[in-house]
Amino acid sequence: MNGIKKEIKMGREAILQSIKKNKPDLLPLPQINEKAFDEDINLLEVFKNNIALVGGSIKEIETKAIDAEIKTLYPNATQIANTSAKTSLGSIKISKNTDPHSLEHIDLAIVEGELGVSENGAIWVTAYNSIVRALPFITNDLVIILEKDKICLHMLQAYSLIDKRERDFGVFISGPSKTADIEQCLVVGAHGAMSLTVLLV
Amino acid sequence: MNHAEKAEVFNKDEAKVNWHDKALWYVREKRDTSAHKVQGWEYLRELGSSIKANVLSNLDEYLIQFETNAKKNGVHVHWASNAEEHNNIINSILEKHQAKKVVKSKSMLTEECHLNPFLEKKGIEVIDTDLGERIVQLAEEPPSHIVLPAIHKTKEEVDVLFQEHLNTKPSQGNPEYLVSEARKHLRDKFLKADVAITGVNFAIANTGGFVVCTNEGNADMGVHLSKVHIACMGIEKIIPQEKHLGVFLRLLARSATGQPITTYSSHFNKPDDGKEMHIVIVDNGRTEQLSREDFRASLHCIRCGACMNTCPIYRRSGGHSYDYAIPGPIGSILSPGKDMKKHSSLPFASTLCGSCSNVCPVKINIHEQLYKWRQVIVKEQKQPVVKKSILKVAGVVLSKPSLYGLAGKSARFALKHFPRFMIYNKLNAWGKARDLPEVKNENFDEWYKKRNKNG
Repeated sequence: MNGIKKEIKMGREAILQSIKKNKPDLLPLPQINEKAFDEDINLLEVFKNNIALVGGSIKEIETKAIDAEIKTLYPNATQIANTSAKTSLGSIKISKNTDPHSLEHIDLAIVEGELGVSENGAIWVTAYNSIVRALPFITNDLVIILEKDKICLHMLQAYSLIDKRERDFGVFISGPSKTADIEQCLVVGAHGAMSLTVLLV
Repeated sequence: MNHAEKAEVFNKDEAKVNWHDKALWYVREKRDTSAHKVQGWEYLRELGSSIKANVLSNLDEYLIQFETNAKKNGVHVHWASNAEEHNNIINSILEKHQAKKVVKSKSMLTEECHLNPFLEKKGIEVIDTDLGERIVQLAEEPPSHIVLPAIHKTKEEVDVLFQEHLNTKPSQGNPEYLVSEARKHLRDKFLKADVAITGVNFAIANTGGFVVCTNEGNADMGVHLSKVHIACMGIEKIIPQEKHLGVFLRLLARSATGQPITTYSSHFNKPDDGKEMHIVIVDNGRTEQLSREDFRASLHCIRCGACMNTCPIYRRSGGHSYDYAIPGPIGSILSPGKDMKKHSSLPFASTLCGSCSNVCPVKINIHEQLYKWRQVIVKEQKQPVVKKSILKVAGVVLSKPSLYGLAGKSARFALKHFPRFMIYNKLNAWGKARDLPEVKNENFDEWYKKRNKNG
């Protein structure tokens, strides 16, 4: 192991010295003028359109109607993992200690999103929301519950809104998993969730 | 074989070339539609370019800052000067964990370092999990595009490949069926993997975190199911602050495929409890490229592939004709810096139309760099005798108007009256695979003067 450590250190010093020698004079880091991206649009409408564009479905409902809605949308789902307090559904208990491999046959996962981005339909979901990091990916279908007053205009705004978070793991999810790797034919449902439903409350 | 010779091979199947050309142009059109929807798009490109220019001018400091912050988060940071060191570091991590099964999501860097064959020789199973990458891995081919690795394959070819390797039923290339079978096949690999290797789209100096973008969810399936995550990044992947992701994530997917953002943009900061996270920071020729003032900006690249989709040469010659991990216009300015002899034909695989520079989200002056590489290569590399002598003659002829007039006259005479074999031969590259236009009796100058007299 000693030999490896020495080698690693050499790599580091060699790289840093070579950069120092070869880099140009310091160029300024630009200030970002966010006003240049301002748009007077209906955030909610554009967000909804973009969710549809990226292959998801979206519905505005009352919090108390969530359970019934999910039952209607996924009548055959029996293995349900839920991490949201906004619904009482859920047949599988999830905790920080759950082995992600045990979630292999989950039909449906229900998680809360923290923030929606109107320009691209992306929703910020953290490890805090999903408890088990693998959950929103390994599930067959995914429901994200999002409060409709938590939609911002674009990614720059999004990053200032999540700036103060606990940084462990977080993901912007925009639609269900998809691929166009076979002759450019878009197929929804690659390795992650086969479908995404966003419930706006 | 040089680029032109390899392109000739690709062009043997005309229908396929036409499909390839159109499919990529369609992606370019989707990029346009998507970009035009963004308020302040050009300003966004400007920002992308100047943030990257700042990064290169302060790269050592940003890397140290990134390392410090990543270590604070419990991430192991490794440095590799070249491909060999990179591969050895990964192997030592695998050995430490006695790992035998590795799942890998898309990483052009590991492609560049030839990691797969290195690990396979050591008896380790390495599975590429991006569908396109898996297809080319099964076909034992390199990717032909950095975003669409199997764009050169027809669905029927994929069908046959899957029948052979995944025991699928013949489906005449039904994409839904083939994807669902690949999902099953790869899910099994994810569940059994010991270690997940991913690339890095952006590494953030002020947080020590990094972002990986996929549409399929393969990076996350791999990482969250295995006990060790190894992320490999070139030194140029650094951005100063997390808020700059707000610029680059707006640019990346729109430029790549026309999507407003990839399905998953995963932000890794800390390993999950009981797991390990490693980052390997790789030079492999990048600091040398940094020293070349004319070619330095090629390190701005965020690997979107827009320059490939728009390039009239790439679209008609295919990614394999470039014979380099990164094909297309950007590959043609990166590769000569790595091995000028091997890749000397690539800067000539361009019409210099500038379309690549026009679509580049970080405003790399790709076509200008192609032109500059040509000048370097012509000086440093032995040129073919025919080309050299013809250019020498052309230089003399073009500098003397009377000689030019005479040459034109003779050429017009020759094209009209000489037998075919004297015109269509090795000396005339313009007559290869096409007929020269019908010639007039006079040149433009004569025609213009006459026209003035008459007018």
